[in-house]
Amino acid sequence: MAMTNRKLGVLMFSPAIIYVLAVVGVPFVLAFVYAVGDVKIASVGYHYVGLANFRSVLESPTFRRSLYDSIIFTVGTQVVVLVGSTVLSLALKDRFTGRGFIRFLILLPWVAPVSLGTIGWKWILDSIYSVINWVLVHLHFVRPFDTPMWLGEPTLAMISVIGVESWRLLPFSTVILLAGLTAIPRDIPEAAAVDGAGFWRTLFQITIPMILPIVNVAILFGVIFVFTDMTVVYILTRGGPYDTTQVLPSLAFFTGILGSDLAEGAAISIFLVPILVAVAYFMLRVASRAEVG
Amino acid sequence: MAIVETRKLTKVFKQGQPGAVNHVDLETREGEFLVFLGPSGSGKTTLLRMIAGLETPTSGEILIGGNVVNHLPPRERRIAMVFQSYALYPHLTVYQNIVFPLKAQKVKKELHKQKVEWASALLGIGRLLDRKPRELSGGERQRVALARAIVREPSVFLLDEPLSNLDAKLRASAREELEQFQKRVGTTTIYVTHDQVEAMAMGDRVVVLNQGTVRQIGTPQEVYDQPADTFVATFLGSPPMNLLETDDLIVGFRPERFLPSGLVAGSGSTDEIASRMKTEHLLLADVGKRVPLRFRVEYIEYLGAERILYGALEGGRFPGKAVASRIPSGVTERYEANSVHDFIVPESELKFFDRASEKRVAPKAIPWQ
Amino acid sequence: MARKISQGVSRREFVKIAGAGTLAAGMGPAFLYQKGPQKTLKIIQWSHFVPAYDKEWFDTVFTKQWGEKHNTNVIVDHISLTEIPARAAAEVSAQQGHDLCMFLSPPAAYEKQVIDHREIYEEVQRKHGKPIDLAVKSTLNPKTNKYFAFSDSYVPDPGNWRKDLWSDVGYPNGPDNYDQLLDGARKIRQKQGNPCGIGLSQELDTNMAMRALMWSFGASEQDENGNVVINSKNTIEALKFMKQLYKDTETPEVFTWDPSSNNRAMLAGKASFVENAISITREAEVKKMDIGKQIMISHALAGPKARLASEHVMSCYVIWKFAQNKEGAQQFLVDFIDSFHDAFKASGFYNFPCFPSTAPNLKEEISNDPKADPPDKYKVLSDVLDWATNVGHPGYATAAVDEVFNTFVIPTMFAKVARDQETPENAAAAAEKEVKRIFDKWKTA
Repeated sequence: MAMTNRKLGVLMFSPAIIYVLAVVGVPFVLAFVYAVGDVKIASVGYHYVGLANFRSVLESPTFRRSLYDSIIFTVGTQVVVLVGSTVLSLALKDRFTGRGFIRFLILLPWVAPVSLGTIGWKWILDSIYSVINWVLVHLHFVRPFDTPMWLGEPTLAMISVIGVESWRLLPFSTVILLAGLTAIPRDIPEAAAVDGAGFWRTLFQITIPMILPIVNVAILFGVIFVFTDMTVVYILTRGGPYDTTQVLPSLAFFTGILGSDLAEGAAISIFLVPILVAVAYFMLRVASRAEVG
Repeated sequence: MAIVETRKLTKVFKQGQPGAVNHVDLETREGEFLVFLGPSGSGKTTLLRMIAGLETPTSGEILIGGNVVNHLPPRERRIAMVFQSYALYPHLTVYQNIVFPLKAQKVKKELHKQKVEWASALLGIGRLLDRKPRELSGGERQRVALARAIVREPSVFLLDEPLSNLDAKLRASAREELEQFQKRVGTTTIYVTHDQVEAMAMGDRVVVLNQGTVRQIGTPQEVYDQPADTFVATFLGSPPMNLLETDDLIVGFRPERFLPSGLVAGSGSTDEIASRMKTEHLLLADVGKRVPLRFRVEYIEYLGAERILYGALEGGRFPGKAVASRIPSGVTERYEANSVHDFIVPESELKFFDRASEKRVAPKAIPWQ
Repeated sequence: MARKISQGVSRREFVKIAGAGTLAAGMGPAFLYQKGPQKTLKIIQWSHFVPAYDKEWFDTVFTKQWGEKHNTNVIVDHISLTEIPARAAAEVSAQQGHDLCMFLSPPAAYEKQVIDHREIYEEVQRKHGKPIDLAVKSTLNPKTNKYFAFSDSYVPDPGNWRKDLWSDVGYPNGPDNYDQLLDGARKIRQKQGNPCGIGLSQELDTNMAMRALMWSFGASEQDENGNVVINSKNTIEALKFMKQLYKDTETPEVFTWDPSSNNRAMLAGKASFVENAISITREAEVKKMDIGKQIMISHALAGPKARLASEHVMSCYVIWKFAQNKEGAQQFLVDFIDSFHDAFKASGFYNFPCFPSTAPNLKEEISNDPKADPPDKYKVLSDVLDWATNVGHPGYATAAVDEVFNTFVIPTMFAKVARDQETPENAAAAAEKEVKRIFDKWKTA
């Protein structure tokens, strides 16, 4: 009987183990193995080359630029998403006619396939057919041959990729914050109102501090999500103009897959690890604190 | 200090449905402790929230200190409110909780510390100032909530069932303290409760509410002894007033006035009475005319000192009518289920209500047999 | 936690893109044919820029007939051109997939995973004569003397110019050299507002256009022997020229270009000049767009040192070592060249033959195209072999060249100078460092 239970336990538990090993463990180990080897996309055999790939990567100005861009991209997106999702969740917290529909609309970017949504944005921001520019031209804000190049100016391009990434992440963050806000007893903001606090004081001294643990969760997930994402950059700018929106994951892809140098691509992606480890550490800490509190 | 007044105050949450509060007219007195008493759903909390400014009235007016405040946000009404849950800010320390209204109302910074110390000393929570709400007991939280309410010296206190989250023992002492405290600060206070004991013990006057309407406003004594209608009569008192319906009238008498005939002065010799009582507890001395009723006891509830007998009348005009009697602590007489006894009610204790309107009417003579 | 970290690994992107590729591939007419005792030949290639090529010839006529003849079930999967590298990487990684995989640029990096295609060249050469030099340079590794692919065709990369705009500023025959391009495009920009549309972005067309510019200025990334020579006076001159051209005639939209942007810019009537294959005018003809009449084709522009342009697309078929049906694939390629004249016509003269004898009357054909307006619009392409060359010119298209190509080192160099992010000298030096770094890596491989 005990044996049967034991077998059953192993049987029930093994899918999780296999999943973790196959989908997480193997690629992770492989990345490290590749990064210290000479693996090209179609090479045969493996030679240990030590830190040569890392040295090569660090010498590359494109890599340094990508590291910088990755940080700007991640932080910028978080700021936009945080402000946006706070506003949205506050607006959607209270009941009003059509709230369900608005909530549905806001959730759409999350459920829509990322590539489809991003391709939509590519057209919206296109240099020739941009709807935004069409509107601007027709409102006489800009002249027809002198429209903003949303993906062509380094600053505008970074703003654009941050904007689209934020558009994607906003629903996720909003839902999380909404959960946090809903968890605040109605009495608390009412007490603040009676105590004399206006909207901003209530927001900054009561509401936001109270949902801070959950905001942390949203930020940490968001950072991991954005830092490792290449889809938006890949589709919108392919890292351009001249690498000013190149991020580490897209560079790893360009180098490792398109450029055929798997080892160097792996080395580039290894640079994501320390930052993600730090984020994960904070995430676990926040999670455990939330449990205690 | 200020007077709170409502005029035809009405709140309808969903159109087409009966209002939560209907045409309520009332007026506090200066420094008064006014209790809103009613069962749950009677509209007492909604009424309080309208006065606080947390709920917008559907119609009618609210006046504080003589000014219509309908369109003022809560913070401009110079009120303080203590919530049933206390609504302490969980992320702030006790000190920060208490100082919050001062900051919000832009009280000069240098006064903060002094005022918080005053308020916390008044409630005996001076040693808790550095703690977070989750580190406090229920009673301590309630005091912090009170301190947060008084610190800004409001003109009106609004308390929404502030004792309901305390255990029974603590509740009794808190009640006492709260009452003393209110007398000391002398601020007009509106207190919402569904607990008649609290209402009786604390209120200068009691507003009895049911289904959004005011049934009676009066001192605890008045609402108890002179209930305006059958609702008030039955809502107050435990067990509630016995009601007997006859023709177009309802006759009522309180269980504690429905007593064994032998125990009532005049029904036997004084010695006899004294011998049957352990204490000097006096029942009804000279009660004048009485109504004799035969009472079949069905079961007995022991409440420590007192006993409550439930049963039905036998014979007479109201055979089988369920009634209760409350036997005071001094009485040693034994009662058993299914025994029949002679009881009496002093005629002066009978209340008469109109059967149709349920309102109280002048006493009338009715045939009891 | 560990899961999040592993997502940073390139494998993740790889699987993702491969998945997308599979989806796209699934849209091809796979498994339409009944399964019988016959063999199967699986082909994966791009969705042709001239849709009729796929729909009216390759998928529906040629492969069908070939399949019947060889009792083979031919399955053709089409994917977007940008998905090809990821798809190929996935197939190599899985060691299974299609028998024939077509690349649009020389896939030198895959040499160790493919058969030697020498036999195919030899067999075809026996029937149709020598292949053009461009084909050999694009598919032969001189170090190993192995043909790592078989090139059936290439696509010329001529200039496209607007007759109305250029006539208006005194160039009724369009620009012939880079000086005229600068002068004319500048005048058009000032007079009409229409910008020049040569890209400065991280994409295929820019890669080609910038190489053409460098070669015409006498510069190149490597010499015949594969030594890095990008940091030269001529490169700096080319950079200076492009900077001027950008400043005087272009808008920042060229930094956003993708492979179809200049098509759109031209067809929308926006750009005055682009360098692109003839897909622009072909599309205008198919859709009967008026603007098509105004778009003319020119040779590669002449520079101070040469008149050279890259091929626009180098069609390179590879047969994986792990292919199931290698013989069928080899046979298919040989037979494909036999029918190449049909392919040439079906593509609307988009694909030019690597074996010229398969289209012996090419000059006459393209000089009198009934679809074209005027009919001799494409006549300028008849001397294309005089000015078209391979990526990696004057050397071979090696794996290192391919990585330089696919990491967009040269477009980035030009873009930075155009935007005043770098001086031409510094940009050339930086590119040299990067190209050397990449070349060094591949020396050991």
